Amino acid sequence: MTKINKVNISRRKLLSSTAGVAVAGVATVAVPATAEAARKAKAPRWGMVMDLRKCIGCRACTVSCKAENDVSLGRFRTVIQEKTWGTFPNTRKAFLPLMCNHCEGSEKDKVPPCVKACPEYPGERAKFKTPDGKTIRYRKGATYKRPDGLVLIDKAACVGCGKCIDACPYGVRSFDPFVKAGKDTTKQAADKCTMCDHRIDNGIEPACVNTCQGRSRIFGDLSDPNSVVAKLVKEHNLANNVLLPEEGTRPQVYYIDPEGVLKDLYRKRKKGKLDHYMDQIP
Amino acid sequence: MKQLNRRNFMTLAALSGGALAAGIGGGREALAGSVKIPSVESSGRDFSPTTGKERKAIPTACWQCVTRDAMIGFVEDGRLKKLEGHPNSIRTLGKLCAKGQAGVNQVYFPDRILHPLKRVGKRGEHKWKRISWNEALDTVAGKLKELRDAGTPELFMYQYGRHKASQAATMYDFMGAYGTKTIGNHTSVCEAAKWTGQESLWGGMYDNWDYDNTDFVVIFGSNNFETHTNHIPTSQRLIRAKVDRGVPLYVFDVRLSNTAAKADKWVPIKPGKDGLIMLSMINVIMNEGLFKKDHFKFMRVTPDYHASTNDKIAAVKANVAKFTPEFAEKESGVPADTIREIARGFAKAKSACLVTYRGTVMHYHGADQERAAMLLSAITNNLDRPGGRVMGVGASWKHPSSPKAKVAKTLHIKDGFPGEAAYPTHHVSQQVWPMIKDGTHGRPKVYWWSCYNPAYINGDNKGVAATMADESIVPFQICTTIVYDESAQYADLILPDVTYLERWDWEDMVSANQIAEFYIRQPLVKPLGESRCQGDVWPELAKKIGFDLVYSSKEDFVRQSCEMTPGVKEAGGFEYMKKEGVWHDPNDKGNYGFYEQEVDASGDGVILDAQTGVYWNWKKTGAKSEKEATSAGYLKTSGSKGSYVAQKIGNKTYKAYPPNTSFLKGGLLDFYSDNFAAKGLPAFPTYTPIPEHQKMAKDELILTTYKVAVHTHSRTAHCKWLTEIKHDNPGWINPKTAAERGIKDGEAVKVSSQQGEITTTVHLTEGIVPGVIAISHHLGRQHSGVYGSGKTSPTPGGASADPDAKNIWWDKHGNHPNVIIPNWSDPISGTQRWMDTVVRVKKA
Repeated sequence: MTKINKVNISRRKLLSSTAGVAVAGVATVAVPATAEAARKAKAPRWGMVMDLRKCIGCRACTVSCKAENDVSLGRFRTVIQEKTWGTFPNTRKAFLPLMCNHCEGSEKDKVPPCVKACPEYPGERAKFKTPDGKTIRYRKGATYKRPDGLVLIDKAACVGCGKCIDACPYGVRSFDPFVKAGKDTTKQAADKCTMCDHRIDNGIEPACVNTCQGRSRIFGDLSDPNSVVAKLVKEHNLANNVLLPEEGTRPQVYYIDPEGVLKDLYRKRKKGKLDHYMDQIP
Repeated sequence: MKQLNRRNFMTLAALSGGALAAGIGGGREALAGSVKIPSVESSGRDFSPTTGKERKAIPTACWQCVTRDAMIGFVEDGRLKKLEGHPNSIRTLGKLCAKGQAGVNQVYFPDRILHPLKRVGKRGEHKWKRISWNEALDTVAGKLKELRDAGTPELFMYQYGRHKASQAATMYDFMGAYGTKTIGNHTSVCEAAKWTGQESLWGGMYDNWDYDNTDFVVIFGSNNFETHTNHIPTSQRLIRAKVDRGVPLYVFDVRLSNTAAKADKWVPIKPGKDGLIMLSMINVIMNEGLFKKDHFKFMRVTPDYHASTNDKIAAVKANVAKFTPEFAEKESGVPADTIREIARGFAKAKSACLVTYRGTVMHYHGADQERAAMLLSAITNNLDRPGGRVMGVGASWKHPSSPKAKVAKTLHIKDGFPGEAAYPTHHVSQQVWPMIKDGTHGRPKVYWWSCYNPAYINGDNKGVAATMADESIVPFQICTTIVYDESAQYADLILPDVTYLERWDWEDMVSANQIAEFYIRQPLVKPLGESRCQGDVWPELAKKIGFDLVYSSKEDFVRQSCEMTPGVKEAGGFEYMKKEGVWHDPNDKGNYGFYEQEVDASGDGVILDAQTGVYWNWKKTGAKSEKEATSAGYLKTSGSKGSYVAQKIGNKTYKAYPPNTSFLKGGLLDFYSDNFAAKGLPAFPTYTPIPEHQKMAKDELILTTYKVAVHTHSRTAHCKWLTEIKHDNPGWINPKTAAERGIKDGEAVKVSSQQGEITTTVHLTEGIVPGVIAISHHLGRQHSGVYGSGKTSPTPGGASADPDAKNIWWDKHGNHPNVIIPNWSDPISGTQRWMDTVVRVKKA
């Protein structure tokens, strides 16, 4: 990871120092360098469309993610949930790919619940370069949202408190037994799907997308009306085809679900538990 | 960064990871978000999530299963980190399955065997001593030389589970130069009946399903979306056809597999009834006049080779008259109306694929089920036509060959007991060990197995294990393996194999689009420890015995093959393949309808056989004169199979369906088979109930086995990422069936057969036919390292510890169904009857 000079600043001071800015403390809204840049700087909005018609439950995504990101045993960054229902011989079975939803956050503050729960957010200042070379300034944290919408974890900044793990209504976070929390080495860092930011930043799609033989996972820039994902969201009217829309988290993973099985398929997190997020074949 | 294309990929593969990293590493922050991801599939590149450094990309090929996808390996600081499908492969289209993705685990699992080991205790006592390769090969050479010098090279038996392409070619080359033909395989536990059935008809084997062009798909007993011998190439094309083109998909299966789950309709069916349904579909199609006449001229359906199409139509009708949908419903549980609906859809579609696999053929008379599938395809003109069931096309490599031994002999223990199988065209591997135990037909003095686990993968595997353990039966046993398993424990000498990610090969698996793809496998990392590729061992061993091979290493063999194979050679040979990994002829339009090719039958010695209409070259047979050949005829002249030239149909001479395998036949599709008739087998495809199922008591069930998406049969239990997802294999049972026995979900049960008894648990599901228990066959490992069996292998000097081992959270390791399945064969093909066992299931 590129070393960034930390700004040694207390949380209180940080909050007060940014109070004068209109967008203070807001995770997602960028702080443009100038008013001119503000009008023009536009980051992509990475997102995913899952075409449930094409998911065949093969688990290549699950395993490729393990390899790509060296995910330890006992937890996953992405899983397939499968469910069988109905009565023989009219039995149905379907598959549901799950991952971090890289939520936009609530309408009100645009902060995803995990970011909100992070005691280290907002943290150091960072710059984001847009495709057209403009700069967008934003605040990192142990858990933070990048201007391109990726919700990421800075393990060096993590205190291992686990609040983000508890805060995620989808239960996609867990402690990484391989990495210590940078700010409290008696604890393990939180971990979850990064949408393979290390690949995206180099112009290639996430590992799970790369290996998806059904092309069920489709990745792209939701803010670009010409992207496949944006077109699919529009064509299939997917705005509300997300997990737990009632939570108001505004997920950026959308599901093509013409048969309307999403609700029946989804096995929600039980409070305080993560066993819904263990990929298992019966 | 642009999307990877063929040109920049070449450059990429040639560069080192370090050189690439120089331009990109460290630039992560600056690059963040500055790149537009193309909306198409693109890769062939990978980066470290921790350092941002680009990983070195090397084209290679998978080996987790026989599909052998072309892929790219990504290496970081000398360690293999990631695998993905080769973006330029016309077979894989850049995709890889879960098993392929877990290939990394094959290299680094903590129990991997990395040194030659010599047994120091009794067999099965797990006492081993590390020895040098030199000592190991001196020992082997001494034993083999003694047998060869005594004129009994056949007393050295070699048996393999997965050897293909150059891995097989180098092995056969060594064995040919040495002189043993006692070489065993494993195909009869896989799907041999399917091939025997096909060979009796179109003279070849391996059907591809042309999903890219098809308009209708009916699948019997094949779980294409989870597993298949050509999984990634076919499966992705099938889901694409279904969703993007709306191609109807019907799946007949005893179990709601993932494939059945994605179908328009899962049609539950009792085990062993697939062929009957097909015959019933033929009945509907013939009676309703929905058949297509086109292919009838290439078909033979009665003893008469010259019957008219109308006569043939009448004969097919008569032969299937009794298989009405109502009769089929009674036997199979499939509603007659469903059979009619699917039959009509299949026949009316512009093109249609009829798919079969293990569920259909691993039965008593399994080969005949496959013949029914071919008949259904033929009468609807879906054989070797675009969109239908087509003859598979793979790469034809040329390779160097060493001089053959003067004495070459075989032990007759490869094809089952006398009379057991009429046409064991792919041998009867499950009976090798029972025959060795029996001893009547000879016993090897040295038995060497590789990439094979006979004491796990066969029926009555505990019986096989007991025979292997007995030092008085085979005095010297050698095992080439990467993992200590159920069979390796009974070796006298263990040789550490490389994984497929550490070796060279050329590869040739069938394409899904009828265009041959040539591809290679190259090492991604240096072999761990002292592990060695067998292709490197053969030349050294040969020298120690006292003969030479024409290649010095597997790399040399692959290099020579690349330089002598037409197409590959012109493209740039070995250097090109190292950079690119894959090659296909860009002008190839795809191979369809080979049988329609018209052939010149005017050559010297070519005569027309009046009985069969076959043009054949008598000079290539054992006949002394044309007169003798003419009077004996094509079918009665010795050595006539290789003399086939063409089939006369009307006034034309076609290549038709030549007898390219062990069946001597004319050029027509032998739906009436003299070969079968001569051995008292059904000459025309028919329905033969499974004898054991006819005598079942009311409380008995049928046991079937199956595969899931994340395991191969026996070679992936030590892959942690796969076993984490599937480490237990409770028997699937319908709640109704369970209720009759007072069994609840998850409870322990005893499953007993004529062979034995296992205790396992059950998974109650509405996704299985009542009257059946289905148990997947990947698990229940006695030994397969810490991830596969829950205990560390008792072998010294394994791979370094995996920090992940302390994160193992599961304590179940499954139960192996093969313990209670006898080794019994389809009397036609000798195929192992996995799906026929009758069992009782009781609460434990």
